[in-house]
Amino acid sequence: MDEFTLSRIFLNLVIATKWTLILSAIAFICGGIIGFIVMLMRISANKWLRGISFIYVEFFQGTPLLLQLFLAFFGLSVVFGVNLSSLAAATLALTGFTSAFLADIWRGAVQAIPQGQWEAGSAIGFGYFKQLQLIILPQAVKQAIAPTVGFLVQVIKGTSLASIIGFTELSRAAALINNVTLQSLLIFGLAGLIYFIVCYPLSTWSQYLEQKLSY
Amino acid sequence: MTLDFLKALFPTPFKRALALFFVSFWLTVSIASCSGGSDAVKSGANISPNNIARLAAGGNTLQDVRAAGKINIAVPADFPPFGSVGPNMQPRGYDIDVANRIAEGLGVEAELISVVGNYRIPFLQTDRVDLVISSLGKNEERAAIIDFSQPYAPFFSGIYGRPKIEVASMKDLKGQTVGVARGSLEDLEISKLPPDELDIKRFANNSLTASALVSGQVDLIATGNVVAAKLIQDNPEQKIESKFIMKDSPCYVGIRKQDTELLEQVNEIIADLKQSGKLNQLSLQWFGEPLPEDLATTAT
Repeated sequence: MDEFTLSRIFLNLVIATKWTLILSAIAFICGGIIGFIVMLMRISANKWLRGISFIYVEFFQGTPLLLQLFLAFFGLSVVFGVNLSSLAAATLALTGFTSAFLADIWRGAVQAIPQGQWEAGSAIGFGYFKQLQLIILPQAVKQAIAPTVGFLVQVIKGTSLASIIGFTELSRAAALINNVTLQSLLIFGLAGLIYFIVCYPLSTWSQYLEQKLSY
Repeated sequence: MTLDFLKALFPTPFKRALALFFVSFWLTVSIASCSGGSDAVKSGANISPNNIARLAAGGNTLQDVRAAGKINIAVPADFPPFGSVGPNMQPRGYDIDVANRIAEGLGVEAELISVVGNYRIPFLQTDRVDLVISSLGKNEERAAIIDFSQPYAPFFSGIYGRPKIEVASMKDLKGQTVGVARGSLEDLEISKLPPDELDIKRFANNSLTASALVSGQVDLIATGNVVAAKLIQDNPEQKIESKFIMKDSPCYVGIRKQDTELLEQVNEIIADLKQSGKLNQLSLQWFGEPLPEDLATTAT
């Protein structure tokens, strides 16, 4: 039987990291777009829009990501007979999860801008969306960017849960290799190191932005 | 008392309504997911249009598979020697080889899907795979939901030891010293013998039991064939061999209830593999011992 050498193990883990990164990117791009829309609903004056977005955010924040993945993959099949592929189910669940948290982070940033800024915009004749676009968002972005990048680190680690619906990403690859070689300390150590290499620069970048943008 | 507490927790009618909504939502979801899946799947299948077509045609998976030229098969990736990953992360093992043979027999390509153990039946029920070849044992709960082929893989508790000791049945164990992992299935089985007739040495786990045999502390151990396979493979110089089987619970191919045609085909292919000795070859390759006799000859 051919053997797992150290370099072979490391290479396999790095290859598996591809899925970790792809899933993180999907979560962040789709989650960012949906999250922005949900944030707009959250700060809207319409109580129905606020209500719907509130339920949306509370649902995804109040349930484990593992369960959301499970519902998207098996739940939809059982209830509606729709069979989503692994990728579609992961996209759905990760988007919901990420967008709920981002919506709340961004809502906080927008609401931290003093009411006077809105009123000043209105005084010079801007409509609601012009006020948002030209006055509020540019200021809110500065507030939001550090916690947003910090949350990305959470998402990257969260993608390991997608292994239950069939993704061989970093954690699952490590578990599978460990099953054959039984060198758990080495393999999970390496996996942890790769996670760290991916996440640490983001953490420092987030700190850097926080310092640079604070005023 | 409880009511007051709840009222304090949800002061406004809106929040009470919301709380009620979530509680009922969770009840629905948990009932749907915990009801064994079978009923939920059936009712779900009835309302969805593409499954109505499937039901009307009455389990035409075999035709679908032939038309597509490939069959989706759930295999294990974390249970050597049934299935594990090779250095290139490709699955390998007894179940993977059997899956490929069965696809070959059907004249189609095998699309192997590595499935985490507890989710193999949901994968089958939701049409994501057509066959489960994943060290699947038979029990009543499972038999109510899916169908099983004839057994294809050995999975049993047996007595293993060096060639010099001759035992062929439970009776022969009288006066012997037998090592076993404490609390394991084998422990339950061997503890049925009167305790004063033989000396049972209990060890903390499977690997300690195995080392006790290798180091000569005991000459016989009671263990599962999967543990023994690794032991035999890792210690070729010890010539450890299987003495007899205590409790047999072989593995079966899992198939959806309505796919009777596919089931017949799979049974034929397995019978062929047994007759031609190919299955025995695979058993020698992955488990280090031939198929047990009753498994090798079962034709139904």
